[in-house]
Amino acid sequence: MLSALIAAAKQRNSTDAQDFPDLPEGVRSLPRLTAEPCLGEGCSRCASACPTAAIKVEDGATVTLDRGLCVTCGACVESCPTGTIAYDRSTRTAVRRREDLVLRQSGSLNDSSPEPMATKAFSRSVDVREVSTGCNATDLEVAATTNAIFDCSRFGIHFVASPRFADALIVTGPVGRAMHEPLLRCYEAMAEPRIVIAVGTCAISGGVHRGGYAEANGVTPHLPVDAFVPGCPPHPWSIIHGVLLAIGSKKA
Amino acid sequence: MIRVDAVRTELSDWASVLSDRAKRAGFQYGHLTVRRHAGGERMLEALLLDVESGSVEVLSAPVPAGTSEFPSVTSVLPAAHWAERAVGDLWGLYAIGHQRWKSLLLHEAWPPDLFPFAIAQDGRPAARESYLMVVGGTGVHEIAVGPIHAGIIEPGHFRFSCLGEIIANLEIRLGYQHRGVEKRLTEVPWHHARHVAESASSDTTVANALAHSEAIEGLWDLEVPRRAAALRTVALECERLASHLGDLGGLAGDIGFALPAATFGRLRGAALGLCQTLSGSRLQRGFICPGGLAFGVDDKRIPELKADLAGLRPIVNEACELLLENPGVQERMEGTGVLPPHLAKEFAMVGPTARASGSNYDARLHFQHALYPGHAVEVASEAAGDVLARTLVRRKELEASIRVIEQVLGDLPSGPVITATPDRLPADKVAVSIVEAWRGSLIHWITTDADGTIGLYAIRDPSFQNWTGLAIAARHNLVADFPLINKSFGLSYSGDDL
Repeated sequence: MLSALIAAAKQRNSTDAQDFPDLPEGVRSLPRLTAEPCLGEGCSRCASACPTAAIKVEDGATVTLDRGLCVTCGACVESCPTGTIAYDRSTRTAVRRREDLVLRQSGSLNDSSPEPMATKAFSRSVDVREVSTGCNATDLEVAATTNAIFDCSRFGIHFVASPRFADALIVTGPVGRAMHEPLLRCYEAMAEPRIVIAVGTCAISGGVHRGGYAEANGVTPHLPVDAFVPGCPPHPWSIIHGVLLAIGSKKA
Repeated sequence: MIRVDAVRTELSDWASVLSDRAKRAGFQYGHLTVRRHAGGERMLEALLLDVESGSVEVLSAPVPAGTSEFPSVTSVLPAAHWAERAVGDLWGLYAIGHQRWKSLLLHEAWPPDLFPFAIAQDGRPAARESYLMVVGGTGVHEIAVGPIHAGIIEPGHFRFSCLGEIIANLEIRLGYQHRGVEKRLTEVPWHHARHVAESASSDTTVANALAHSEAIEGLWDLEVPRRAAALRTVALECERLASHLGDLGGLAGDIGFALPAATFGRLRGAALGLCQTLSGSRLQRGFICPGGLAFGVDDKRIPELKADLAGLRPIVNEACELLLENPGVQERMEGTGVLPPHLAKEFAMVGPTARASGSNYDARLHFQHALYPGHAVEVASEAAGDVLARTLVRRKELEASIRVIEQVLGDLPSGPVITATPDRLPADKVAVSIVEAWRGSLIHWITTDADGTIGLYAIRDPSFQNWTGLAIAARHNLVADFPLINKSFGLSYSGDDL
């Protein structure tokens, strides 16, 4: 046991020094729209490069980008000749409304104020149940939020083993047909008030699986969602952001 | 490129021909599936791996229209029992003579008449069947677990039949993650397909992207630049390193030894940092593409990668010793969850699971992919087949991965990382890629039709072969040891269910 104590003592603090740090240069993160004007002239390289039809170029030069469909492959950023689309370095990428994931370059974003929080009961501490329905990418990053680097318990976020203990439900993956009923039963087992967080592009929209025979089109056809965390997979900091946003924490 | 030999037979001789050919010395069973020609005709196809020569053989038999049956090979080639059940669900074809015939992927949640790959001219599909074997006798009770598990993991259902605290039988029901990946791969334009292929099982992103890219390249006989092959090797070994570190942490956690669990969790994070420095993504998504790499790696990053890796090595070693030299850990692992070597072989299991039960099969030694088999890898093999053996194999493998990454980065070729690909896939071609993913050999198998469209895209995830091993190893063990046994297999649900 002594060797374990010595090994523990030798390990320095490995927790990130800063909360919600920007992602370093060279990381393929979610795309954002810059102020640079689109080339126009019928250029739609970004739209044709996108594997999930997340981008539309309307009226020749108005770019619309739906992060709820984005698989963060970077193809749009790399194909854009004008720098209109660039990587978003921020890890604060969660939103409370689905429509806020749709970015438009010209014209206003949705400027109506969001609905009031369904509950503020969990704003300082929340017990979370995760239901996985996907390829394990987002699950790995949800699990990573609990490690010593991100240490989500510092923010009052705890993962629990049963929906009966849970205040919040994180859903990952596109929710294929065989998970429709288990997901609903898990939700129904949770005491009210309860909140739902769709984590990852598949959970938001079905991602690359959308529209197939497996009816894997995300969480929204099944449950009311309180926060959306886009990304394929989202960064652990973005997942923490999503939970804090959903509970109305001041730290979000 | 892996050479593919085609062998034809008739459906009436299918079982005997397949079994005989699979049991030749040096051959390993690969996969079994069905392919449809553009004309609508179905072919029953099996993939056999010639491990000695590094080539493969596709055995085909036409399935007449209106037929919903084929002769099962399971009684003589048990390795095919899982795949025959998948064929039943997806194609409505019933394997006559299969001893444990039941649905693998599509259970009660799905419409009874849904067979995703069947068409009207196939005739009436075989009915699906879902049951869980019941163990009789005095005092036998059942424990049902899942589909939603207690941890942050994928869904699946386990039904234990127990005598007191001892597991008499474990029935594993999967399919909860079925998303229709193989069909989707035939629906999307080929140049977007890599994103779907990566999502087959994203903890295995690199191996799936590599297998996909090499199979697509194989259709054209396209060579990738040497630098791309080298960086693909680094990417594959970084994924293995991160995954094995994560699994060792999971094993420590299931034993209740918090310090190594936390340490390995942190080290996995460091390994994902390496992956991010290399590829721009923690899970290395979107990095590998047909033709080479979608993104280059700046030479300035190489010293950073080397320094991070060098910093990781001693801590990894220390954490492994902390875990494995603890008598309590040894007590929990030794003799627990034994997978006998003869059964690992009979069911054609792969990867660390098989190597912990005496197998010497490692696709890196036998089949061309990335820089393999040119790059020296020692087979990490153990004989005992218990949780300890599977843990020791992982430790040896992650140490070997660090060595390989250092070697390749130390001698990294310069030059381009991508070869231009044609716009269209060639007609009437078959390509198979075999990649040693961290869970074992992963197969992607593509056939194009006369019009250059993909007629077959089959993925054989290593877990597809290995799930049976968990059911075997759990028998006669304590229920309380199951989480540890399960973790030592470290299986993929999404890779199985697709």
